[in-house]
Amino acid sequence: MTDSRVERSATEAARIPLSPRYGRGWLAALIASVLMVLVLAYVIAELVVAGIGIWGTNIPFVWGFDLSNYVWWIGLANGCSLFAAILVLRRHSLRTAINRFAEGLALFAVICAAIFPLFHLGRPWLFYWTFPYPATFQVWPQFRSPLTWDFWAIITHLIVTTMLWYVGLLPDLATLRDRARTPVARRVFGSFALGWRSSVRHWAFHQRAYRLVAIAVIPLALVIQSTVAFEFAITLVPSWHETRLPLHYVVSGLESGLGLILLAAAALRGSLRGIDRFIDDEDMNLIGKLLLANALVACLVYAGEVASALLAGPLMVEAILNRLVGHYAGLYWGAIALSVLLPQALWSSRMRRSNPAGILIGLGVIAGIWLDRLSIIVGGMQRDYLPSTWRIYAPTQPEWALFLGSIGLFAAMFLLLMRFLPVVSMSETRHDEYREASS
Amino acid sequence: MSRSDYGIVAEFASANGLLAATRAARDAGYRRLDAFAPFPLADVSVVLGHRTAVVPLIAATAAVVGGGLSYLAQYWMNAVDYPLNVGGRPLHSWPAFIPATIIVSALWLAAAAFLTMLFKCGLPRFSHPMFDVPGFERASDERFFLWVSSEDPAYEPRDVAALLQRQGAVAITRLEVTR
Amino acid sequence: MTGEEDDGRPSDVTGSGPCETRLWRSLEELAGSEEVRRFGGAEFPEAATPETIDRRALLNLMTASLALGGLTGCAVNRQPWGAPLLAQPRLAPQHTPGVPLIFATSLELDGLGRGVLVRSHDGRPVKIDGNPLHPASLGGTDVFMQAEVLSLYDPDRSTVPMAGGMRRSWDDASLYVTQLSHQFQANAGRGLHILLEPCASPTRDRLIALARQTLPEARWYFHAPLTDGNTHVATARVFGRPLDPVLDLMQADVILTLGGDPLGAGAGHIRYAADYAQRRHARDRPLPRLYSAETSPSLTGARADHRLALPPREIEALARQVLDLVRNAAPPPAAPQSLAAIIAGDLRRAGAGGLVVPGREQAADVQAIAHAINVELGAVNRTVRYVEPIIQASTDQSSSLLALAEAIGRGVVDTLLILGGNPAYDAPGDLEFADLIGRVPSSLHLSYYFDETSRVCRWHLPARHALESWGDLRAFDGTAGLRQPVTVPLVEAMTAEDVLAQLVGEAGDGHAHVQATWREVWGEEFDARWPTALEDGVIAGSAAPAASLAAPVGWSPPPAGPPVAAGYSMVVFAPDPSVWDGRFANNGWLQELPKPFTKQVWGNAALMASDTASALGLATGDIATFTHGGRTIEAPIWIMPGHAPDAVTMTLGYGRRAAGRQGSQRGFDAYPLRSSRELWALAGVTIAANGRRDALISTQHHHGMEGRDIVRVVPATGPVNWPVEPRRSMYPDYVYDGNAWGMSIDLDLCLGCNACVVACQAENNVPIVGPDEVAQGREMHWLRIDRYFAGVPDAPETYFQPVPCMHCEKAPCEVVCPVNATVHSSEGLNEMTYNRCVGTRTCSNNCPYKVRRFNWFNYNQKPPAAPDAVQNPEVTVRWRGVVEKCTYCVHRISTARIAAKMEGRPIRDGEVMTACQQACPTRAIVFGNINDPDSAVYRCRENPRSYELLKDLNTRPRTTYLARIAGLGRGSVGGTR
Repeated sequence: MTDSRVERSATEAARIPLSPRYGRGWLAALIASVLMVLVLAYVIAELVVAGIGIWGTNIPFVWGFDLSNYVWWIGLANGCSLFAAILVLRRHSLRTAINRFAEGLALFAVICAAIFPLFHLGRPWLFYWTFPYPATFQVWPQFRSPLTWDFWAIITHLIVTTMLWYVGLLPDLATLRDRARTPVARRVFGSFALGWRSSVRHWAFHQRAYRLVAIAVIPLALVIQSTVAFEFAITLVPSWHETRLPLHYVVSGLESGLGLILLAAAALRGSLRGIDRFIDDEDMNLIGKLLLANALVACLVYAGEVASALLAGPLMVEAILNRLVGHYAGLYWGAIALSVLLPQALWSSRMRRSNPAGILIGLGVIAGIWLDRLSIIVGGMQRDYLPSTWRIYAPTQPEWALFLGSIGLFAAMFLLLMRFLPVVSMSETRHDEYREASS
Repeated sequence: MSRSDYGIVAEFASANGLLAATRAARDAGYRRLDAFAPFPLADVSVVLGHRTAVVPLIAATAAVVGGGLSYLAQYWMNAVDYPLNVGGRPLHSWPAFIPATIIVSALWLAAAAFLTMLFKCGLPRFSHPMFDVPGFERASDERFFLWVSSEDPAYEPRDVAALLQRQGAVAITRLEVTR
Repeated sequence: MTGEEDDGRPSDVTGSGPCETRLWRSLEELAGSEEVRRFGGAEFPEAATPETIDRRALLNLMTASLALGGLTGCAVNRQPWGAPLLAQPRLAPQHTPGVPLIFATSLELDGLGRGVLVRSHDGRPVKIDGNPLHPASLGGTDVFMQAEVLSLYDPDRSTVPMAGGMRRSWDDASLYVTQLSHQFQANAGRGLHILLEPCASPTRDRLIALARQTLPEARWYFHAPLTDGNTHVATARVFGRPLDPVLDLMQADVILTLGGDPLGAGAGHIRYAADYAQRRHARDRPLPRLYSAETSPSLTGARADHRLALPPREIEALARQVLDLVRNAAPPPAAPQSLAAIIAGDLRRAGAGGLVVPGREQAADVQAIAHAINVELGAVNRTVRYVEPIIQASTDQSSSLLALAEAIGRGVVDTLLILGGNPAYDAPGDLEFADLIGRVPSSLHLSYYFDETSRVCRWHLPARHALESWGDLRAFDGTAGLRQPVTVPLVEAMTAEDVLAQLVGEAGDGHAHVQATWREVWGEEFDARWPTALEDGVIAGSAAPAASLAAPVGWSPPPAGPPVAAGYSMVVFAPDPSVWDGRFANNGWLQELPKPFTKQVWGNAALMASDTASALGLATGDIATFTHGGRTIEAPIWIMPGHAPDAVTMTLGYGRRAAGRQGSQRGFDAYPLRSSRELWALAGVTIAANGRRDALISTQHHHGMEGRDIVRVVPATGPVNWPVEPRRSMYPDYVYDGNAWGMSIDLDLCLGCNACVVACQAENNVPIVGPDEVAQGREMHWLRIDRYFAGVPDAPETYFQPVPCMHCEKAPCEVVCPVNATVHSSEGLNEMTYNRCVGTRTCSNNCPYKVRRFNWFNYNQKPPAAPDAVQNPEVTVRWRGVVEKCTYCVHRISTARIAAKMEGRPIRDGEVMTACQQACPTRAIVFGNINDPDSAVYRCRENPRSYELLKDLNTRPRTTYLARIAGLGRGSVGGTR
């Protein structure tokens, strides 16, 4: 009888993430990432006490690692959530496998991203002055500034990504509540499940809301990437002052997001036995193809960058050429190699299906986009109007620590997610298999 | 302190069983029903006649209102309440006010959808008679339930039980609540 | 009874003397006190700590400290140094608390006086500007005058007498001095040797003369590392007796400088620069032509129409040729004109309007030749007048440091008094002077710091700062000016005059000594003239008259000596543009001041031409070993475009060992290489790379304009025609009715002397960040001077461009600030609201001129920071994490606005002077209301030479530039503009 098969496998699906089969590997990884989080905490404390002078930034390089890492993280976040949202709307089978952790990754990436604009301030404890509240100054924020737009972008991104993730998670929380072994777990999951009774009425509204939130995410991800780009495109710095910059950020941001998803998916398949029944070869194949396609678009964007610069004024030509051959040329070509050339390996279906390759390519693409951000921000600032002010910037130890610390935070959150919450949506799995069976 | 009848709950082993039973109950004239399943069952909610179109409606309205408020707020703060000559730009620099407007309206859209869902489902509600049904915790896993309310005009416990029995219910519970 | 009443000055000035004395002292303490700083700090909300005092507590504090102040005020009058005198220059406002007082006094450089006005806020001198009545200043300043006020508050200054390395009380010290005076009055001063800095002070000369009578056996010596030039030797050769040349550049049409830097350095350069600027833009006369032959780039050379980079021996050759060609008829026209011929031709054509100026570092022959040419041209008493030596004391060789060294060597020196100076550090290396001092049984050093010399002397006495003491100084042209204290002495200390007076047993304090001097001069006119002289800071009509010269036509130089073997071995010594002879080594403003050509800070380097360096296999930053006569020093190399080949320039004054916390162990010390016989140019030095490198710190790393339209140069003749781009903006214009402030900077007058930079730093409390931070690229100067080289690397054109905030009407920085921390004022200023700034720094990103600075750390509390006492109370002291920049001295604008309001009139043109404008010797900076067609700045903006920096960006700067006028073609006729 078909239905009973559905039930058993659905139960398995539900059990996978919560099974006690998390060996030493997981624990070691968690400890390592928690240590990095401690480093992060230390650097932030140092930052607040001593001041951001501990960085290598200067005039004219008022921004360095801080903003480039921010742009990188926010790109990852937008990439992931955009991808997840599209899957939800397309009702694509892939979503069963991907969505849950794609949404999780997006959320964690936003959290990491938020660290940088906050602590890059000269006086971080006054960040809330960008929020329009009746201050004693009686003066309001300045809404012509892209930084104000970005303030809204970050807050909104944080809230909406959380909602997307949470709405999708709600039924599974109910499942966890109902199958909790200890009263504590039951209470905790129960309170997050909000009393979900899996009533068909609940399901009906749930499906609507889920899709609507997803709809909200799509313009949001695009607008936020563009807003981040505006922070640079609005300024007079020659190599930033381009209308093409938002496009560049959207494309490369989505690519880094896909890279992250590929990385996570491959890692999960590699680490959790049994999960490959739910993130199967077809899924990997599809992600690989998407990433490849995105890399080709990125290639186009890079070409467009050079072309539009060469068509522009002499200053912009000089600025771009400086990025290509100047002091920071390594960043630029590293970005090209990792984010455009490396993904070409995905033409082969063996590569697309292999977990190690997935991990390597995912990492490579992410690193490539990171270099691209650094090249745009640092390399771009090197040549502007008055040669007398030209200088060099090099990151200091605290900047590296802050960067690695944020990665540690990200890793820690992801490890905890895959330990305590289903990485694959149980209800979606049940639903799919029901539909397969009944069709 | 009296225990009063809350209705009849039947447990089914399969989604098809639930669907059939729901249909039968409707045909038998029962109106106050609710079905429970571990995943969305579109056809069942069609039978039960759920109207969800209100969610997008409210969300869309919220998006418009939120965006409008955001734009007006920006205008009022920078051009009316505390006008400043910022870089020689006009006080009402409308293009600069648009990105935030879009972002905020998206925020309202998502938030409205989420809250409407909670409202229409009467969530959060942590205690509910259904949770007293034996084996109901499997409703979020592999089992399917149908509930006929005692407040249904046509409610008559024995008939209901019989009807559901005929539909191949695995178990039938008469649910009572203390009032 | 304080010292004021008996000098009989008008009561409106003096009457308030004693009470003002008390008031100052108290408010000074108040302003300096911890609580007050915290109270002021409360302006920053985030700085408000729970223990911030409330209003009541502050009142308690004020009353308390006022009372205490009264006591100390009384105490002041009992001090040996007497009460400070209150005086004001004419037209200065009467003193009311909070309204700054302005004093006229004199500061010394190379022993010569420069008149200054000191602005004192409630007893705290915080700013120094030029005294318009003083001939050596005319209101202009240089970096040293500006920075003197920081030295006044130097926490590292010596505060107690020391003997044998132990702190001693003043009672012990004065006991010792009294014993000395008794001992030597008994034996007529036998065995007493006194070393002084040459100084043109009538009072000091009077006391020395007195001492020479009472102590006939005492020996007197004079030493300063930079004033031991060949000037007097040279003038003696030509005119038969030592004389000082005083230039009048207003009259000069053709000028040839042989080394030196008349416009950029030395006791008279401010006046010379002003005269040259005025002459240059004289309406009715053709542009003057300036030739400069020099070894290492100088500000004069950078300004010259033709600059010749020549090693010393070729400068001498050139001088000889020019002399011959000026004397003899012009060479046959057929022959290709040599440079010397062209110059000589121009000089002959100019006749009495010609002028040859030798640098003090030039050999005696070269200087003599220069004077001979001036005589030949008939320029004497037109473009140059020769006067009896301003500094009389130091003219004969028997009083040189060399003589003293020999005396010590002979062992005839029982007691050595070193009153000022630092010979143990700055004596020529071959004298081993520090060791010599050690051999003297009893030695005393009076100095401001416990420095290298103090350490080798038996006794050390703290010296008064110039701003704490009485005195008088004669300027480069002989004009005498009075020096008066502008604050109560911050520590108990003496002046050289005090010591001399004690030696000869003259009673009274510095005030009395100076008065005594001028009583002799003025007789019964004294009472009438003294107050005026004090208020003016200048003694009218005291300039030295031209000396009568027995027309010495026909002097001809001795035949040139054997040519120095070619080779990269000639080392030339020069004063350092930042620390001069080393006396300013502990002054953070000067240490952090980018040197005009290298833009190096916190150190010095050995400058050489790129050919020289490559021939030696050296690159900028390599450390090389310089050896001569067994003496060796190590110095980092700096490849200097425009430096003469075959020569190395070393600036003196660095490598201090005991300068203080900021000054010690910075740069390298060139004095050890110096020879007492060849002070200025040393031949036969062997140079070898030693493989090590030094991270030289500079504030500018690119030196070309990359073909961009940054510094504009217009031809000397013919109209200016550059494309006038149409102005289009998508934004409607804001109307600024009333005042619209603007600035115009004339690149043709700017010499790049840096006076404006230090003035800005002093006026606006711009923090000192220290070498490490500057190396990071975090210097805080609100006004920087960009230096660009153009043309061929060996003989480049050098352009200076001061860059303050442009105060753009379409300011890009404001639009990107998320919190409205930088906005426009109703008068068009681009204003920075420090306590609203959260420090995103995006404004700096969007500033194409990169004039915005950021407080990466709490710079005003880190060690190199200026003491609180020197901070200008009218300007906020910025906190960590906020952006700052040039404000057009907005506090001066509001001061003027208030004054105008009270008198019910508009602000007059020129009433508001920015600090940089006030400091500029050449008046290259003009500030005012661009709405007012009669204002100077309006006229500047209408000048065809006027242009906007980075005009294409359409930021509409309020700061505009006047293009530089290109050098005249050789021998061509000058145009006018």
